[in-house]
Amino acid sequence: MTGIIKSEPFVINIGPQHPSTHGVFRIKATVDGEKVIDAEMVMGYLHRSMEKLAEERTYTQNIPFTDRTDYLSSMSNNLGYCLAVEKLAGIEVPPRGNAIRVIMAELQRLASHCMAIGAFANDTGAWQTPVMWAFREREKILDIFEVTSGARLTCNYMRIGGVAFDLRPEFEPMVRRILRDFPPFLDEMEGLLSGNEIFIARTRGVGVLTPEMATNASLSGPMLRGSGIAWDIRKADPYCGYEQYDFDIPIGYNGDSYDRFIVRLEEMRQSLKIIQQALDGLPGGPFRTEVPLALRPPKGEAYARIESPRGELGYYLVSDEGPSPYRFHIRPPSFINLSALKEMTVGGTVADAIVVLGSIDIVVGEIDR
Amino acid sequence: MTRELTGSEAAALAEALVPGSVDRTTETACYLKPDRLVETLRALRDDPDANLVHLTNLCGVDYWDHFEVVYHIQSFEKNHLACFKVEAWGRENPEVPSVTPVFHGAWMQECEAYDLFGIRFAGHPNLYRILLWEGYPGWPLRKDFLAMPGGLQPGLGEFAGVAPRQEPPVKVIE
Amino acid sequence: MTPFLVSDKWYDIRDLGNLSREILEAADRILPFGVVYVLAALIGFVASFLLFVLPSQLIVGVYGERRIIGRMQSRLGPNRVGPFGLLQPIADAIKLIQKEALTPTRADRAVMYIAPIIFVMPAVLLWAVIPFGENMVIADIPVSLMYFLAVSSLPVIATFMAGWSANNKYSLFGAMRIVSMAISYESPLVLALLGAVVMTGTISLSGMVAWADEFNIWMVFVQPLALVIYFICVSAELNRTPVDIAEAESEIVAGYLTEYSGMKWGLFYGMDIGYALAASGFAATVFLGGWTFFGLEQWVPGWLIFIAKTHLFYFLFIWTRGTLPRLRADQLMAFAWKFLLPLGVFNLLIVSTERMLWSEQDYAKGLIYVFALVNIILSVALVYAWARFNGYRPERTPTRPRLVKQAGGYIPVGERS
Repeated sequence: MTGIIKSEPFVINIGPQHPSTHGVFRIKATVDGEKVIDAEMVMGYLHRSMEKLAEERTYTQNIPFTDRTDYLSSMSNNLGYCLAVEKLAGIEVPPRGNAIRVIMAELQRLASHCMAIGAFANDTGAWQTPVMWAFREREKILDIFEVTSGARLTCNYMRIGGVAFDLRPEFEPMVRRILRDFPPFLDEMEGLLSGNEIFIARTRGVGVLTPEMATNASLSGPMLRGSGIAWDIRKADPYCGYEQYDFDIPIGYNGDSYDRFIVRLEEMRQSLKIIQQALDGLPGGPFRTEVPLALRPPKGEAYARIESPRGELGYYLVSDEGPSPYRFHIRPPSFINLSALKEMTVGGTVADAIVVLGSIDIVVGEIDR
Repeated sequence: MTRELTGSEAAALAEALVPGSVDRTTETACYLKPDRLVETLRALRDDPDANLVHLTNLCGVDYWDHFEVVYHIQSFEKNHLACFKVEAWGRENPEVPSVTPVFHGAWMQECEAYDLFGIRFAGHPNLYRILLWEGYPGWPLRKDFLAMPGGLQPGLGEFAGVAPRQEPPVKVIE
Repeated sequence: MTPFLVSDKWYDIRDLGNLSREILEAADRILPFGVVYVLAALIGFVASFLLFVLPSQLIVGVYGERRIIGRMQSRLGPNRVGPFGLLQPIADAIKLIQKEALTPTRADRAVMYIAPIIFVMPAVLLWAVIPFGENMVIADIPVSLMYFLAVSSLPVIATFMAGWSANNKYSLFGAMRIVSMAISYESPLVLALLGAVVMTGTISLSGMVAWADEFNIWMVFVQPLALVIYFICVSAELNRTPVDIAEAESEIVAGYLTEYSGMKWGLFYGMDIGYALAASGFAATVFLGGWTFFGLEQWVPGWLIFIAKTHLFYFLFIWTRGTLPRLRADQLMAFAWKFLLPLGVFNLLIVSTERMLWSEQDYAKGLIYVFALVNIILSVALVYAWARFNGYRPERTPTRPRLVKQAGGYIPVGERS
C-alpha cells in the first residue's frame, strides 16, 4: 500500500512516566504505524553519582550505597561489594558467614525474580494477577529479611568479612516455610503463564537474541542464558562456597522473551535447591571476621563479580591505601543488558517493545546509579 | 574457577597475535598501546586460544596525570578473565580508540565513561552524555571535580585524624 | 408456555410486564392520546433502572468485579466504605464528580466533551430490546437482534472521537486500534449470530427465547461454537482484558482514555461495564434461553433468572480479565480473519444444513438434541482441525528450559551436556 497511502513516522515517548518502564526510564521510539523503526534510550533520571559519593566514604560506609543501586536485590549488591573489598584486602570469611551469605543471596534471587516475572506478565497484559501472586510470595521473603536484618528492601546486611548479625532463631522455620510454599507457587505460575497460548504468542519469537549477539553485546544473567549460553558466575567462578552446592544452569532455546521468562522461573527452583542444601549444612562458628572499621586495603585493584538476579554484577575497586576507595566502579547488569535493546525492539511493534523491555528486567536505580 | 590472567599472561596472548601491541604489564593488568587497541582486541576475540569474547566491564579511572580505561574481557569456553588497560594522557582532551566495532556491548559503557570522565572514544558511533544532560558543566568522576578554593578536596582526607591524601601531581585545571 | 400457575394479573410479580400494562391501560383511559407512550418509556426506563441497571452496574459491575478480581489476585478488594465495602462504587462516583475534568491545551475541546456523552447513549438504548420477562420488554420490535447489533456498533465512533480529539499519541494509537478491531470483529460476530438466527428462524429476541422454551434446549448446546465466537468477538469490541488492545494499560498507557479525567473518564469507565452487561444480557437471551429455565420460571420470577444468567455470563468476562494476558494488535486481527471468520462460516454451513434436514422432518422435537450432540463434537473437531491447519503446534513449544551442570559456552539446541 505504500505509495497509495502517505504515512509519516512519528516519535512516541515510552516513558519517563509510563506504566511499563519500571521506573523513570524512557524510550524514544520512532514508529511507523504500530511498527518501531528506531528506538533510542534516554536514562539518567535517577542518577545520583554513587561512584563519586563512594570515593569520599570509608569502605564500610559504602555498603548502604550498594543497597540503593539495585533496590530490588540489595542483598546481592551488598554481597558483590563486600566480595570486592575482601578480594582487595585479602580477608577470609568464616564458613558460617559464607553459608548465610549464600542463603540470603538466593532468597534475594527468589524475591527479585518474583518481581521480574510478575512485572513481565503485567507487561504482556495479564491484568495484575501474576504480579499479585508473585508479590504474595515475595512478601514472605521480605519478612525473613526484616527478621534478620531489620529492613525489608534495603537490607544493608552484609559486612566486610561476613554478615552484620547472626541469624535469629525464627529464621530457620521461616525459610523452611518458604521452601515448602514456593514449589506449589511456581507450579501455579507455570500453569497460569508458561503454557498459556496468549502468553506464548506474545513472547515467543519476540526480542530474539542470537548467542553471538548476546555475547558481543556483553549481556549477562538470564539474558545470556536465555540465548543458550551456559554461563553462570556461580558455576564458572564460584564465590562464597557455591561449589559445594548441587544445582543446574537453566538455558533457553532461541533467546526470545519467553526463554528468558522460563529461565527465570527455573532459576527459582534451582535457588530453592541451593537454599535447602545451605540450610541443611549450615555450619556453626563465627559469622564474621573482625575487620577494622576504617579499613585500609593495600594499594592495588580488584574486580569481583557475582551472579546477581539480573546478571553479572561486578565491582571494580582501586585502592590507594586510603580509608576510602580511590575508584569505585559498579558493573551494573541491567545497564549493560540494555545494550541490545535497540536491536531487539526495532522491527517489532510497540507492544513487542514493552515485552522486550519487561524481559530485560531493568531496575532503574541500577541503570542510573 | 575462573582463571584471572596475570598481566604477563595476557600480554603473551596479545603479543602473539599482534606483535608490538603491548606497552607494559603489571601484576594484574596488561597495558596496550592505544593505536593498536582495536586491532588487538579484535584478534583476541577471534582467536580460538584467547577466545576473549565477552567484554565484561569497561570503566575509566582518573590518575590525575592520565586516565586509564580498563577492559575486563572474559572467555566462556576457556573460562578466563583478562584485564587490559590503555592510558590517555592529558586532561584537556583525553582520547582512546573506541572498541564498539569489536564489542557491541561497549557502546553504553563508553558513553558512560565519556559522560563521567570526559574521555573521548574515537570512532564511537554515537558518543553522547548518557546519564547527565548535554551541557552539564564538568566531568563528575574526575578527581578535580568540585575542587574547593585553596586546593582543598572534599571528602575524608581533610578531616582531623585521617591521613592526608596524596598531593595531586598535576595542577587542577578549571 | 404452560398455563400452570401463571396469571396475567397485575399482582403476579413473576412478570412485571403485567403490572406496567395495567398501569398503561388505566392511564390510556384517563390521559389524552399519546401521553401514554411517554409514560411507557418512562416506566420502562425507571423499572429497568431500578431492577437491573442499579443493582447490576453498581453492585455487580463495579463492586463485584473489583471484589472477584481481588479474590483472584489474593487480595481483599474494596471493603471499607459501607458494609463489605458495598458503597465503594458510590464513593468512587462522588470522587470522580469532584475531580477536575482536565482538557489538554491543544485538544479539540468540543469533540472531547461530546465523546463520553455519545458513548453513554447507546448503552442505555441497548436495553430497550432485551426481554426481562415474557411481557417485560420495553420495545418488542420484530428485528430486535439487528437493532442490537446496529446500536452496539455506535460506541466505536465515540471512542474514536475520544482518541482523536485528545491530541495525544497514545490516544491516537488507541483510537486506531479500536477502529481496526471493530471492523475485524464485527463480521465473525454477525456470522456467529446468524447461526442462531438460522436455527430459530427469527431475528426477534423474544422469539428466540420462545424458541428455547418451546424446544427445551438452549442455543448454547445447539451451537457451542457460536457462543465461543460471540464471546471472543464481544470481548474484543468491549475492550475487555484478553483483547483490550485499545486501552492496553501496559503498552499505550490507557489508549483513548489517556487524557480523560474526572467524570468524563467515569462515564467511559461506567459505560464500559454497562456495555459488558448489555452484551451479557444479549448472550443470555440468545444463547442461554433468556428468562426461561426449563419450567423454573413458573415459580421464580423470570426476570430474576434472566439477571442471574446475565451475571453468570458477566462473570466470564471478569474471569478472563483476571487471568489472561493480552494479545498483540496484529495477532488479534489475524485471529479474527484467519480463525474466527472461517469457523463462523463453517458453523453457518453446518447450521444451515441441519436446519434444512430439520425442516424436512417437520421440526421434530427429538432431532434438535441429536443436532446438539453432533454440533458439540463437530465444534471441538473444527476448532482443533482449523488450528492445526493454520500451523498451530503446541508440542513444539517447550515450557521448561534445558538444564546443564557445567558452565561453558553456547550449547546448541538438541545437544546434551
